Amino acid sequence: MTQDLSTPVGGAPTMGASPTGASPSAGMPTRRPPAPPWRQRLHHWDVTLSPYLYISPFFLLFLVVGMFPLVYTAYVSVYDWDLIGGQGEFVGLQNYRAVLDNPYFLKSLVNTISIFVLSSGPQVVLAVVIAGLLDTRLRASTLWRMSVLLPFVVAPAAVAIIFGSLYGDRYGLVNEALGWIGLSPVQWHVDRLSSHLAIATMVNWRWTGYNALILLAAMQAVPRDLYESAGLDGAGKVRQFLSITVPMIRPTVIFVIITSTIGGLQIFAEPRLFDTTPAQNGGSDRQFGTMTMLVYDFGWHLRDLGRASATAWLLFLVIIVIALLNFALTRRVRSLGGSR
Amino acid sequence: MNRRPGFLVYGLLGAFVLGSALPLYWSFLVGSHTKEVMTRQTPPLLPGGHFLENARRVFETVPFWKALGNSLLVSSVTATSVVFFCTLAGFAFAKLRFRGSTPLLLFVIVTMAVPTQLGVVPLFILMAKLGWTGSVWAAAIPWIVTAFGVFFMRQFLVDAVPDELIEAARVDGCSQIRVFWTVGVPAARPAAAILWLFTFMQVWTDFFWPLIVLSNDNPTVQIALNQLQSGYYKDYSLLLAGTSLATVPLLILFVATGRQFVSGIMQGAVKG
Amino acid sequence: MQRRRNRRVRLASGALLALTVGLVAAGCGSDDGDGSGDGGPVTLSVATFNEFGYEDLITEWNAANPDIQVEQKKVGTWDDAKDNLYTKLAAGSGLSDVEAIEGDAMPAILAESSAFVDLTDPALDGRWLDWKAAAGTDADGKLIGYGTDAGPEGICYRADLFEKAGLPTDRAEVAGLMGTWEDYFATGEKFVDAAPETAWYDSSGGTAQAMLNQVQNPFEADDNTIDVENPELEAVYTAITDNVDKGLSTRLPQWSDDWAAAFQNDGFATMACPGWMLGVVSGNADGVKGWDFADVFPGGGGNWGGSFLTVPAQSDHPEEAKKFAAWITAPEQQAKAFAAIGAFPSQVDALDAPEVLDMTNEFFNNAPTGEILSNRAAAITVQPYKGPKYSDILQAFQAALLRVDDGSNTADESWDTFLSDVSALS
Repeated sequence: MTQDLSTPVGGAPTMGASPTGASPSAGMPTRRPPAPPWRQRLHHWDVTLSPYLYISPFFLLFLVVGMFPLVYTAYVSVYDWDLIGGQGEFVGLQNYRAVLDNPYFLKSLVNTISIFVLSSGPQVVLAVVIAGLLDTRLRASTLWRMSVLLPFVVAPAAVAIIFGSLYGDRYGLVNEALGWIGLSPVQWHVDRLSSHLAIATMVNWRWTGYNALILLAAMQAVPRDLYESAGLDGAGKVRQFLSITVPMIRPTVIFVIITSTIGGLQIFAEPRLFDTTPAQNGGSDRQFGTMTMLVYDFGWHLRDLGRASATAWLLFLVIIVIALLNFALTRRVRSLGGSR
Repeated sequence: MNRRPGFLVYGLLGAFVLGSALPLYWSFLVGSHTKEVMTRQTPPLLPGGHFLENARRVFETVPFWKALGNSLLVSSVTATSVVFFCTLAGFAFAKLRFRGSTPLLLFVIVTMAVPTQLGVVPLFILMAKLGWTGSVWAAAIPWIVTAFGVFFMRQFLVDAVPDELIEAARVDGCSQIRVFWTVGVPAARPAAAILWLFTFMQVWTDFFWPLIVLSNDNPTVQIALNQLQSGYYKDYSLLLAGTSLATVPLLILFVATGRQFVSGIMQGAVKG
Repeated sequence: MQRRRNRRVRLASGALLALTVGLVAAGCGSDDGDGSGDGGPVTLSVATFNEFGYEDLITEWNAANPDIQVEQKKVGTWDDAKDNLYTKLAAGSGLSDVEAIEGDAMPAILAESSAFVDLTDPALDGRWLDWKAAAGTDADGKLIGYGTDAGPEGICYRADLFEKAGLPTDRAEVAGLMGTWEDYFATGEKFVDAAPETAWYDSSGGTAQAMLNQVQNPFEADDNTIDVENPELEAVYTAITDNVDKGLSTRLPQWSDDWAAAFQNDGFATMACPGWMLGVVSGNADGVKGWDFADVFPGGGGNWGGSFLTVPAQSDHPEEAKKFAAWITAPEQQAKAFAAIGAFPSQVDALDAPEVLDMTNEFFNNAPTGEILSNRAAAITVQPYKGPKYSDILQAFQAALLRVDDGSNTADESWDTFLSDVSALS
């Protein structure tokens, strides 16, 4: 967040080719006069062409594995495209219509957003608190930092299996524990909100420590003298935390939310493995079916790659819209909270 | 200076860490008992003596050695590829001036928001056309370069390499590639290590793409877990022993390089 | 400091790489080793799901055929195997040399018959029951799948729980209580009145599937047009969903964790049992005493499942694969598979083989399972018509029942969702 991306990279304009120098595509110097000696021309080419040489492997590969699929998804989405039979007739926007008309589309969208909200909201609050606790002069601070990061090394599939074993509807440990304290069991795979909570727990468990460390970094950048003067004014630790630390790290909080948007909206492994049998697809009534699961469902269960692609594109649009909303929010918060 | 924090802080943090560790302990706990343990009313508190036996059954039920090998191979090769290509491009963006660098960098940043897994359909069609489905290399394909990698290296290198150093090298008549090699690469090392670790993690834990493109007899660790999960009898001792086994390699990596992880995440925050 | 950390990373990654290389080398050792080298031994892979009872048979084959070594690859349930199968069919590679197909999914596979080897062999004419052979033959008359087992159904029941509820426990007497579905459900109501803690049958989905196997055209007309709004299907749906309120169903999804746990927790007293289900029951109910097997099926007889072996066209060794598939589906071998796990033969000559007829099952109170299943097979009068969408529609239908089971929908709401699911299939 410290770099302004719109300025030319590299900073000082002292090096390399002169600004008026040859454009690499033209390859010929524009200023004719004294023809540069061979060595110098070689050096010139070295300077102008090398950057392209450095970035081109990345861009070439990225075009194949990053850009081509996105564009080609759009192509597939306007065709009848069977998983096994392959490309069929051009059908225009019919696949999009079929997806939008399918009641599961809206359901998956709502589920995805609900799980996302349930997982990022409490997670950020908890992460702020943990970061605040870590931002003290702890003994063995690195050990503590590593410890909170522990769940991050467990893959989502493993997380889903571990938590799945706890959230059985009838014979699970969580329900038994609820029974010990006199509560009635929860239908974790049936009740829509409960299933979202169960899945959000998995996400929160894995990511809270990670985000706490990001927030910790932001907290450590808060000038210490702010606290000292607050301390002189008699503000307690908690008070200082709420009135100084939290406002100061607000941009980072937004950053954390944005980065988790892209991943969070694509959630797949956790809900997929939360199903009680592989024949299901996010619960009997799609209580916890997500958008990415719908892509998988269309493509690999119903074997219709056309509709799968249309769903993927729609999900992409949703992500863009939400990311833009976030971006607008960030700018607002930035202008409100001063620069940092 | 400030006082050392009191019991409350340690207590709260301790509780959080305990909560973080508990599911892992549960996984090992169930994995070390016979399957009857899950049908008992009150679960045991201490591990039992059946872990090795359960682990053996994991290896019998799914090709777990192969899965481990595949995951290690794909993750480390992919991480290396990302580090190589992204350091090269990141260095160019950070320290070299060239036409179009700003729009190209913007392009990279914008595409960071593009969820690569949404391209699964064409990637699958492509893999099928090439006959690569079922091969572990297909699992690596979407990750061999990442926009994030370029951005991350660029952000790091902007500050890490003083322009004067590059200038000096060039005045000495160094070619660009030598400048990169003698100045860029050494400076990039800490960030490259972090990028390597994170890419490794990302590929290791990926589930969606390998589920589509790999098969049960040549899986990655995550797909082997999926296979255990969709088994006929839901045997949680087997399943959670497998989960524990699947977590061990990353746990080793984490213990060995935890500081890097921590500093990587914290740097990413400041830079990002 | 920084430098030392880097070294540690390098060490760690170096160690990981070394491990990688080692593991991959180890992993490749046992690789398919298609060994396309001429003259050398051929290794065939055979993919099965659930239990086929083939372990000993494959050992026997491998000992007798050093040139064609067979390796079995087992996955969990058919649903898992199916995803895998279709993905690889689409990819055009990666399938095993012999792929097992679940009977209800066979019609969909026949629609893709060009992807499979024609296994027609005059020498095998008459090996299978007519309906079984027909179910493995595509529209052009090519035999795509060799039948393995059939699924004649009886009723598995818990004699101990029957006794507690004041019902008779003797096999013959129990059989007298459930000659029709009405009787079966009425007995169930008596049972749950006396033992409200325990459900009558294991799952709505399983029971409905048993009922559907007596309907001539459950989902599709003979010309493959989808017709799910037919009175027979609606009758099954209504009967099963009405039973939910009466407490007859465990309300659990078949094959789920809780379902498996219900075997251990006295969750239910009866279930529809095709031959291959006997092994599933004894596996899940390991340690539970009181199971028995009655020579009866509501509504007469019914066939549930039973699989096929196919040879995908992508196989490098279609001839060898065909040879092996023909051998292992021969009557003698299937009779042994029956002895191993209860998969009842679909081969004519195996039906009166002594190993089959004299078979008893200790877990089921020494019930004469061979004789019972033979009787049950003889009682089958209807072979339902199953078109290419059968398997997909069945999955949607069972989800519909589950929504009523778990209370997320009323019966009417769930039916509407089912209709919408079916319309999304075409």
